[in-house]
Amino acid sequence: MTPTTGATTGTTAPGTAHSLASAARPHSLGLLRRIGFLPVLLVALVAGMAATDPQFYGPINILNILRNTAFLTIVACGQAMVIIAGGFDLSVGAVVALASVVSAKVMAVTLAAFPGSEGLATAAGVAAGLGAGLAVGLVNGLCVARLKVSGFIVTLGTMSATTGVALMITSGIPVYGMPQGFVKEFGRAQFLGLPTAVYAALLVLALMVFIQRRTLFGRYVYAIGGNADAAVVSGVSINRHLVGTYMLSGLLAALTGLLLTAQVGSGQASLGGDRMMLQSIAAAVIGGVSLRGGIGRVEIVALSALFLTILGNALNLLHIDSRLQPVFLGAIMVAAVALDELGRRRNARV
Amino acid sequence: MSDIDAAPSPSGLPALRRLAVQAALPIALVLLLLAFAAVDMRVLSLANLLNIAQQTSYLALFAMAQTVVILTRGFDLALGPTVSMVSVGAALAMASGVAAGYDPGLVLLMGLAAGFGLGIACGTFNGAVIALLGVSPFVATLGSYNIAIGIATTLSGGRPVQGVPDLFSHLFYGGSIAGIPAAILIAALVGIVLHLVLTRTVYGRALYVIGTNPRAAAVAGLPVKAILVATYILCSTLAALGALMMTARTGSGEPNLGGSLSLQAIAAAVVGGTSLAGGRGGVGTAVVGALFVTILSNGMNLTRIDGYVQMVVLGAIVIAGVVLDRIRLEQRG
Repeated sequence: MTPTTGATTGTTAPGTAHSLASAARPHSLGLLRRIGFLPVLLVALVAGMAATDPQFYGPINILNILRNTAFLTIVACGQAMVIIAGGFDLSVGAVVALASVVSAKVMAVTLAAFPGSEGLATAAGVAAGLGAGLAVGLVNGLCVARLKVSGFIVTLGTMSATTGVALMITSGIPVYGMPQGFVKEFGRAQFLGLPTAVYAALLVLALMVFIQRRTLFGRYVYAIGGNADAAVVSGVSINRHLVGTYMLSGLLAALTGLLLTAQVGSGQASLGGDRMMLQSIAAAVIGGVSLRGGIGRVEIVALSALFLTILGNALNLLHIDSRLQPVFLGAIMVAAVALDELGRRRNARV
Repeated sequence: MSDIDAAPSPSGLPALRRLAVQAALPIALVLLLLAFAAVDMRVLSLANLLNIAQQTSYLALFAMAQTVVILTRGFDLALGPTVSMVSVGAALAMASGVAAGYDPGLVLLMGLAAGFGLGIACGTFNGAVIALLGVSPFVATLGSYNIAIGIATTLSGGRPVQGVPDLFSHLFYGGSIAGIPAAILIAALVGIVLHLVLTRTVYGRALYVIGTNPRAAAVAGLPVKAILVATYILCSTLAALGALMMTARTGSGEPNLGGSLSLQAIAAAVVGGTSLAGGRGGVGTAVVGALFVTILSNGMNLTRIDGYVQMVVLGAIVIAGVVLDRIRLEQRG
């Protein structure tokens, strides 16, 4: 779908297949290729829905779409970085749950120990939640980098372990007793008509764009995913940066867990889960992140998170049986990647 | 001792060391059983051993299904949903046959046709998308994962499908020969046949070549695309067989039967020593891995270890298994 989005400018790592392909690209398709198919699909979807159902552009529905997009975008940004470096993070859904449970528990305990000190409780809870995410990311990264085990298997293992720990902490029961301020003034609050989560997602997205383009870490991640051997020869310390991508992914998943917890008002081990994990990978892949590593931009991933969320919303509004909806998601994902692959082959031939 | 050798049995390796490398996990299995038995003697009772064997036969079938595609550097995330879809489809076909008053044999045939038909359809989709369109196995099977879940829940309306005939349940679950339950017999038979296919046929050897070096396989003139499609069909067909056996056990078509089976089966195969990098593994690794996982959870259940702790242990075991495999490989090289 977006062979172009990665290749429009010099933002892909030098020496990847794309920069070669873009040189040989025919100019007739240039404009469409430069924008990519995703924005076109997105505009078509929005226009189509706006024409058929006035509920679609109602303020409540739009807020709902934006909020859900924000959660998915934050997780997908971390996932995208891991995939660009040539890995996978299957544990993000479990980390969302763990961060939710850990932060809620710490807040409740702190508040019980120091009644009235809501600020302290909130700070401790947020730190504990983010710390839990970083810890899982550290374990993932160390196993992948030091033990040279594939990211798929490592994060498959930590996914199971993390879910187990989250359930152990709660015994499967939601954790209540967090400061009211955290829920009312943060989770369910709105500034200028938009939920807090949306601002958090925009902030994360801006930071990630900066990291990808303007920091050594971002450039090295492209280099490692594009050609790990070449990166080593060029003097990039691969292990440190690999661990970095997994920790970033864990941190962002934990942040989503905190935002969801603040919105729901309790710590729950059922938040996130397999669904969030699969959706984050789908968002990254439809957003043009190559599973072979080395290619992908977070702003396109955010666009694709918006697309996926609106698609789910549209299917609901059109009263399409919720049981049938996964069929659409699956078909669109395969089609998007197949188109991308076919486009790449055509480019290679020219 | 060259790694160029595509076969899983490198001819240069000294026989004794090879034995030690291969026997590591079986030895660990026996130790594990004895450790659990020390806590609770019931672990070693004949009834429990038979129970373990029966539980293992399902997971072993699914691990074998994953193994054939993992050999080619792929995997099938859609295996679990395929199981759900086949279970629901077969149960619906048989229930409608029973309702129409058909002959029991015909009803059974309808169920098998629907079940295997759905399995083959799913495998064909996966194989075609992966081999012909060049989409990575992860995305392709993640796509069919969603599609199969959608079909399974839509067909069943999200509820169990009742009306599975007794003949079917007897054949795939209740029946036994010489006291050995049907599930074990079927799994053993499939295991033997698949082992022969993997080690004694050109197709089987081709899987190892493709997994070890796809480019060399293509250069050597192997029809790589056709073989890949066939392998994904084989994988889904094995999954469909396992689904029919599980449907016979529960006595109804269950839209949630597959659950987290995809990842469980991959974990079992990998713990047994199948390499996700392709080209290494076989029926033996799948069965040993499935036995290991089953004995572990059976033992933890009998010694009353908390279910949530079990998840943590299983996760750690999966990672440890792969790390050990890595170390073994380095020693060999």
